[in-house]
Amino acid sequence: MTMNANPNIPEEVRAVAADGTQLRYALMEMAREMDDVIALGRGDPDLDTPPHIVEAAKAAIRDGRANLTPVKGMDDLRAAIAAHLREVNGLPVAAENVMVTTGGQEGLFLAIQALIDPGDEILVPDPRYSSYDDAIHRAGGIMVAVPTNREDAFNLEAEAVEAAITPATKALLIVTPSNPTAGIVTEDRARAIADVAIRHNLIVIVDEIYGKIVYEPWRHFSIGSLPGMAERTITLDAFSKAYAMTGWRCGYVAAPKNVIDAMARVKQVTTGPVAAVSQWAGLAAITGPQDCVSEYLKIYTERRAVLLDGLDRMGFAYGEPRGGLFVWADSSSTGIHAAELSYLLLKEGRVLIFPGTAFGDKWREYVRITMLEPIDTLKAAVERMLPVLERYQL
Amino acid sequence: MQTPTTLSRPLAQRVAGLHDPRAPAATAPALPASVIEAAASALDRGETHYTDRPGIPEFRAWVADHLRERYNVMVDPAEVTITCGSTEARFVCMTLLAAPGGSVLCPGDRSPIRGAAHLVGASIVDSVQDDISLLYITPDDYRETSIELLRRAEETDWWIVYDLSFAKTNPPFHPAQNPKLASRVVTINSLSVSLAGWRLGWMAGSEMALRLRAGKQAITICTTAVSQWAGLEWARTQL
Repeated sequence: MTMNANPNIPEEVRAVAADGTQLRYALMEMAREMDDVIALGRGDPDLDTPPHIVEAAKAAIRDGRANLTPVKGMDDLRAAIAAHLREVNGLPVAAENVMVTTGGQEGLFLAIQALIDPGDEILVPDPRYSSYDDAIHRAGGIMVAVPTNREDAFNLEAEAVEAAITPATKALLIVTPSNPTAGIVTEDRARAIADVAIRHNLIVIVDEIYGKIVYEPWRHFSIGSLPGMAERTITLDAFSKAYAMTGWRCGYVAAPKNVIDAMARVKQVTTGPVAAVSQWAGLAAITGPQDCVSEYLKIYTERRAVLLDGLDRMGFAYGEPRGGLFVWADSSSTGIHAAELSYLLLKEGRVLIFPGTAFGDKWREYVRITMLEPIDTLKAAVERMLPVLERYQL
Repeated sequence: MQTPTTLSRPLAQRVAGLHDPRAPAATAPALPASVIEAAASALDRGETHYTDRPGIPEFRAWVADHLRERYNVMVDPAEVTITCGSTEARFVCMTLLAAPGGSVLCPGDRSPIRGAAHLVGASIVDSVQDDISLLYITPDDYRETSIELLRRAEETDWWIVYDLSFAKTNPPFHPAQNPKLASRVVTINSLSVSLAGWRLGWMAGSEMALRLRAGKQAITICTTAVSQWAGLEWARTQL
C-alpha cells in the first residue's frame, strides 16, 4: 500500500508533515495550545514521584544539604548505585565505576564524547530514539543502522550486528527495553551479541533506562554482567522512568574507571554536577522501598492490555511490546503516512502520538504511542481515534 | 569481585586535552526561608515531571524582565532557555556559535570557556584575526578593550556572548544595547554563587535562540524542575 499520495489529506497537512522530527516538536507545541488533548506522545510518566522520595528531597533542602557536589556525584549515591547494580543487574562494579548524570540522555552524550573519535562508526538498532543522533554527530561519529523487525518483536540479532561491522566500527549501542519499539534484547541474544563484541573488540553502550519496566514473562538482562564484558560495557540508566522522576534530571553511568574519569572531565565543562536535591532524591529511590516500582509496573501492565486491545480495534499490527512505556504500532492498514496520521489524530481527534518517521526515515508506516495515561483516558483516546481513521483511511 | 578499570579500547583523543574536575566548595550560604518553601511547595504540588523544554514560563519571563529593567535590553521570553548552570549555557553557545577549527576572541579570562572550546575544536585568541566567529566578553574585561572589539564586531558577522555569571562588577552596560549588534548577542547568567548546588543558569536572546534551545535539549532535555522553582523565588526576592 502506497504511503505517498493519500487524496484525503489536505495539502497544508502534507506541508507540515514533510519532516518527521520537526513534526514531533510541532505536534507537541500544537497540543500545548489546544484544549482537552490526550497526550500519548512524550515519555513522561503521568504517575507522581513516590512520596518517600519527595520527602527525602524536602528534608535535604530544609537541612541545608542541597550544596554543590563533586562532578561525578555524591559519594553515598555512587556507592548505593554500585551496590544496586551488583545485586540487581549482576554488574561487577564499585563506586569508582559509577558517575551520576543529568538524566540518561546526558549519560549517552558524555559516553559518546569520551569514546568516539571523528570517523568512528557506532552501530545503532533501527528504529532508534533520534536524540542519540545529535550526540553521535557532535563527536564526528558515523551512525550505522542495524535492522530489527516486527516479526521478531524488535529483538536485536547478533548476526545483524556482525553483518554491520566494518574496520571503522568502534561501538555498539543497545537500548533494552527499546525506545521506540518496546522490544527487549533477551538473554540468549545478549550472550550471542557479547560473543560478537568480544571477537571484534567492540565497546558496548547499553541504555537500560526502561530496564525495570519489563512485562511478564520476560526478564531484563544486563549484557555487562557477562564474562569478558565489564571492560567493554558502558551501562546507562536513570531514575526518570522506573520511579517517575523525569523532572529531577538524575541518571547514572557504570563503566570501567578510566571511562568514568574521562566522562567526568567532559561533564566538568558541559554541565557540571547534577543538582544536589535530585541526587538526594535518587539516593532515596535506590536505597528505599522498591514497592513503588512493582506497583507502577502493575499499572503499566494493565494499561498495556487496554492499549493493545484498542490497537486491535483500529487494525494496527505490532510486535509484542515486552518492556518500556510505548507501543510501536504498524499503521499501514490506514494507507496514511504516519506523519500525516499523527497530525490528523491531533487536529481532529485531539490525541497526540508520534510518527514513526521521528525515529528513522523509513518508519513512515509506524507510530509510537505511550501508555502514560489512566486506563479510562486510554480508552477515550481509542474512541477519539477510530472515527478519524474511518474518515481518512484509504 | 574484579571491577573494571580500563576500557578494552582507547578513549576518544579529545579527552586528553581536558582537566580533571575541581573539588567543590565545602559549604554554601544558608537559603532564605522563602526559597526553601518555594522548593518544598513545588514538590508538594507535583512539580516532578519534565518542564517545558526551555524552562518554566515564569522563570523565562523573569529573565526577560530582568534584562529589560537592569540593562534596557529587550528579549522575548521565548528566546530564553534555562540551563543546568551557566556551564551548560557556555558549552551550548560554544558548540553552536564557534566554528570547529576557527577561533573565539576572548580579551579577558579564558578559563570559563577553555574546556568547551577544546571539545568544539576551536582556538581561543586575544586579538582580532580572520577566522573568528565568536566574541566572548564579560563585565570584568577591560572596558575600553570590549568597546573597541564591539566596534569591530559591527563590521563583522561575529556572534557575541556576554557572560555575567562570574562577574565581580555589574555595570549597566550591555552589548545588546547597540541595535547593530542586538540580534547577535547572547546573554549568559546563573545563580551559581548563591544556589550553586541547584545548577541553574540561562542563556537569552539572539537570532540563534531557538537553535541554542535545541542544543540544550539534546544534552539534558530540560533543567531540574524543583531547581527552577527555587531559583525563581530567589531571583524574585534576592536580585
